[in-house]
Amino acid sequence: MDTCQTGQAELGLLIKQGAEARVYLSSFVGRKCIVKERFSKKYRHPILDSKLTVKRLNAEARCMTKARKLGVVTPVLYGVDPVLHTLTFEFIEGHAVKDILLEFGSNGIVEERLNDIAAQIGIAIAKLHDGGLVHGDLTTSNMIVKEGTNQLVLIDFGLSFTSTLPEDKAVDLYVLERALLSMHSSCGDVMEKILAAYRKSSKQWSATMNKLDQVRQRGRKRTMVG
Amino acid sequence: MKSFHVSAGSTFSVALFSDVTNSRELLELMQSAKMEPEVALLNASLVPDIFPVLAAAHKALVSKSRESLTTRTLHSELVYNYAASKHISESLKRCGISDQMSYILAVRFNASDDEMTSVTNLINGKEIDLEELEPRSNRDQILKHFKIPPQELAISSLSDAITCRIAARDAL
Repeated sequence: MDTCQTGQAELGLLIKQGAEARVYLSSFVGRKCIVKERFSKKYRHPILDSKLTVKRLNAEARCMTKARKLGVVTPVLYGVDPVLHTLTFEFIEGHAVKDILLEFGSNGIVEERLNDIAAQIGIAIAKLHDGGLVHGDLTTSNMIVKEGTNQLVLIDFGLSFTSTLPEDKAVDLYVLERALLSMHSSCGDVMEKILAAYRKSSKQWSATMNKLDQVRQRGRKRTMVG
Repeated sequence: MKSFHVSAGSTFSVALFSDVTNSRELLELMQSAKMEPEVALLNASLVPDIFPVLAAAHKALVSKSRESLTTRTLHSELVYNYAASKHISESLKRCGISDQMSYILAVRFNASDDEMTSVTNLINGKEIDLEELEPRSNRDQILKHFKIPPQELAISSLSDAITCRIAARDAL
């Protein structure tokens, strides 16, 4: 894939590296874009590795398009390259919800903005779950608030899968709850606001909410009382 | 006519025509592979914006550079990519031109000015500005062909919805 820089298979400007992929900034036919490269795991057999990586790549592309069809805002997919193991998306201008909440934590909460973000999160997850899609990695760093429109955009569907089980949906919400508790407790009970919006927009919330209580009981670092 | 840079070293020229009268002739030329210069002809009512066409072009160029074209030529590959379907002949039929078509988008890779002039001469129609793509597009046909549900329309433009489908076609 050609980019703004010269060189062999230069994907662009590296902006982040995670456990599974590297993220580059580049341009696609004149538009600012993100190139996500799933790198190969050297400890795997090369043929297996390539097959697995392409499978995961396709799954991510499929889940993103499914999420869009359900009405969840995700970045626009510009291209999928099975040879270079890359996905190219539109670049979303804005801040991750994580950064916004951290800022609230240190500089004071803007009540209205917090409520708006929490409501959008709840609605987005409800749409996903009702459509039989589980995000798999719901954390505040995987949500971006678009500059200007203040629309919530969900990113990173690399761990997502299709499931209608309340168990899977409850675990999805639980992951978010733990993330919020660990990083953003200074913002108050954001999870409650999110769940309120989730209950309002989801048609199958009761089974999921019941399961969520059970999952909470199970979780790690529980005081084994009662 | 407008030119775009699709990737390093490749340009892409686009021209829009209305009131085309010789579509049957153009179709015959294409099918007998006697079209000179080679150009891709798209059903312009299915094109609300030029960006998805650029995405399809980019994809076609990448396939060509890897010698892995699914169709016979680079230009037919573009039409196949734009349809966002795996069915080749159906895609070429639906997104390419047909007998009675009067509203056509002509595109060519790495075209010189002379080549584009001969394309303009080849097509019996009136060249119009690319700005006309949006108002003249057939929204219902697009929604039906690409199977875009109302929930998706609420959060996305037609152009973005089509681009996603073009990109993800081979992943589905």
